[in-house]
Amino acid sequence: MASKAKSRWADDEADAALDAQLKKEKEEKKRLRAEKARKLEAERQAREAAAAAASSAADAQQHERDGTDRGSPAKRRKLSPERETVPPTDSAPKLLRFEGGTFGRSRSVENYDKLNDIEEGAYGWVSRAKEMATGNVVALKRLKRDPKDLGGMPVTALREIQILKDCDHRNVVKLKEVVVGDDTTKIDSIFLVLEFLEHDLKSILEDMPEPFLASEVKTLLQQLASGVSYLHEHWILHRDLKTSNILLNNRGRLKIADFGMARYVGDPPPALTQLVVTLWYRAPELLLGATRYDSAIDMWSVGCIFGELLTGKPLLTGNNEVGQIAATFELCGVPTDESWPGFRRLPNARRMSLPPSTSTKNTTGALIRAKFPLLTSAGAALLAGLLSLDPVQRPTAREMLDHEYFRQDPKPKQEALFPTFPSKAGQEQRRRRETPNAPVRGQRAADLGAVDFSGIFSGREKEERGGGFTLRMV
Amino acid sequence: MAHMTNPLATPDQLFQRRSLGALPIELQDTIFFATQCLTQAAGLLLELPQTVTAQANVLLARYWLVEPMMAHEFSDVSAATIYLTSKLSATPRPPRDICNVYAYLLSPSSSLFHNPSAPPPPNTPAAYYLSESAYAAARARLLALEARVLYALAFDTHVALPHPLAVTYLQALDFLGAGREKIAGRAVGYLNAALLSPQMLYLTSQPNALAVAAVYNAARDVGAKMPECEWWEVFDVEREELGFLVVGMRSVEGWGKTVREDLRGMGVEKGMLRRRNVEARLGGGDAEEEATRRMDEKMAELEAGA
Repeated sequence: MASKAKSRWADDEADAALDAQLKKEKEEKKRLRAEKARKLEAERQAREAAAAAASSAADAQQHERDGTDRGSPAKRRKLSPERETVPPTDSAPKLLRFEGGTFGRSRSVENYDKLNDIEEGAYGWVSRAKEMATGNVVALKRLKRDPKDLGGMPVTALREIQILKDCDHRNVVKLKEVVVGDDTTKIDSIFLVLEFLEHDLKSILEDMPEPFLASEVKTLLQQLASGVSYLHEHWILHRDLKTSNILLNNRGRLKIADFGMARYVGDPPPALTQLVVTLWYRAPELLLGATRYDSAIDMWSVGCIFGELLTGKPLLTGNNEVGQIAATFELCGVPTDESWPGFRRLPNARRMSLPPSTSTKNTTGALIRAKFPLLTSAGAALLAGLLSLDPVQRPTAREMLDHEYFRQDPKPKQEALFPTFPSKAGQEQRRRRETPNAPVRGQRAADLGAVDFSGIFSGREKEERGGGFTLRMV
Repeated sequence: MAHMTNPLATPDQLFQRRSLGALPIELQDTIFFATQCLTQAAGLLLELPQTVTAQANVLLARYWLVEPMMAHEFSDVSAATIYLTSKLSATPRPPRDICNVYAYLLSPSSSLFHNPSAPPPPNTPAAYYLSESAYAAARARLLALEARVLYALAFDTHVALPHPLAVTYLQALDFLGAGREKIAGRAVGYLNAALLSPQMLYLTSQPNALAVAAVYNAARDVGAKMPECEWWEVFDVEREELGFLVVGMRSVEGWGKTVREDLRGMGVEKGMLRRRNVEARLGGGDAEEEATRRMDEKMAELEAGA
């Protein structure tokens, strides 16, 4: 048995050896052929790479990326243009290539042809322009530079550029490049070249005779939440979300713009300035002077925008910090130790007198439902969640996207079916804003001192409560 | 992905260093080394985290591949880059601090390029006192160069450093069975030394490759046992690139020593290498005019090409 097996094994071995030799010869030939082909391929690639390097950097990057996608042998970057490329000798494993692009000088603004001004904001003016080489219409945002400013380039502008360059999302406005004025001996005029969108949400809301339909509000809100969730997942706080900073094109695509207040944060969050977010969209913890805050402040602004989309009017419009707090408490109720644990420890809350908590039981949800009678209960729940006084209780942008509200009928309207609006930005100058501007860096934060809010609900005891609405007795 | 990648130098940018009209390559390397050391020293005196200083080193290296070296005083460029990166970080430093620190480092009291075996230089505070007018002039230069650096880099100040990656890779490799502080410290040391390398490793390789090379070198130094397989491929680095970087990183130390001696030979016993030292080295009484003329030509050529 054993000897039989052994003899068969020996036969096999001999056969196998013969086979292997034949195979080896075959393979050797094949390898030589492959080698030759690879050499040709490498040469072709080298030629292509040289051509690509001559053309724009973006093209070169694209080429390289394509190269890896095809699974062609990756090679080390060439360090001199003349060097001959050496074909890789071993079978190249699949390695990820990281492409970071290249660096070089800014181009001149003379590559763009100015068409018309769009608006003048707190941080500079924006105009519509056409890139002469391609005919693409873009928005040029000129950075204001104060020659008396002793700090040099404003850090807000640098952050805005850095953040926009890192962002790539369908609901975040794209920064194409940064260009400078013609006189490059002193760099005093700097322009951000941004993609152009026809409208901003603020002017649409102002000009609409009727507010948006429920399905349209959902589309807008979904896109907004998707953009905000992208930012938060990349450790970016926008810190100035408001309807005038949200752009809309004629195909129903919403994009978040104006990152003049934005910054990268870490976890745990660093100490940050409380002087952020335009007053009407400012979260209660900021109004009460918190210097440690997180992405929940953006979610509060999203809640304010939600309310504004429903009615067409800004939701909370205080004249100053105190007025804003009063308006906030009036809509969302007065904070208690149960509804917002620890709020008393915030700097501006210590000396604040509030009405006794008994008179303000279970307010937030009920008040919001009363204010937006046409909103479904899921919608009201989402809005009440976004406008939670306690930042911990607000949903994150990701949680918001999964909310029941977006699954209920009416479904979000398809972007392509979105109504179009006469463009303000396309032709004439946009109206000057009546909304307050975002706070300016370096301002002193408002010290509210001892403020008495106990009177804001003084008339409420006289109100008759009914099913879902309230009557004020005069 | 932006946090893991850097823009890299194009072959043309690297080649231009050797082009006609540029300074001799050894001299360029010496200037590069001296200025990067100056930035590191300033980072220490300004009490900046190494992440901020290292970013300034990388921005400076990029800047000099776009703009000619002799266009501005080296120390001014160094000050502008560190001002810029500190401004964007969580630890901004005011222009006054920057100007004071550079005034000290450029003074004869500074021990930056001092021979370590010689007694330390006498401390004469009057030598680095910055008067109001001198401060105003220094600040004006600082701010003008800040704008110039931004323009040259198309306002792209993004720098991804390999240091955190190296630590992560070491964790993934379970520190190769060596002492944590020992091997991690050694790896970070290699990454910091690579900032001074004339091969501009930070401009030719992505952070993951730098991190793997540093881990490899550190493991070799402490005698840790590396996996037998081609473990660098797990971190997406090829053997060839790894080999290049390993050699590049190991050579910095010895090369740096010779450059320091060379610097002393150029009369940089006190303070920092200046443009006038370079002009003197280039020789001739009218070296300055010669350099200015060459600079103008180069600028014109670059402007025309841009």
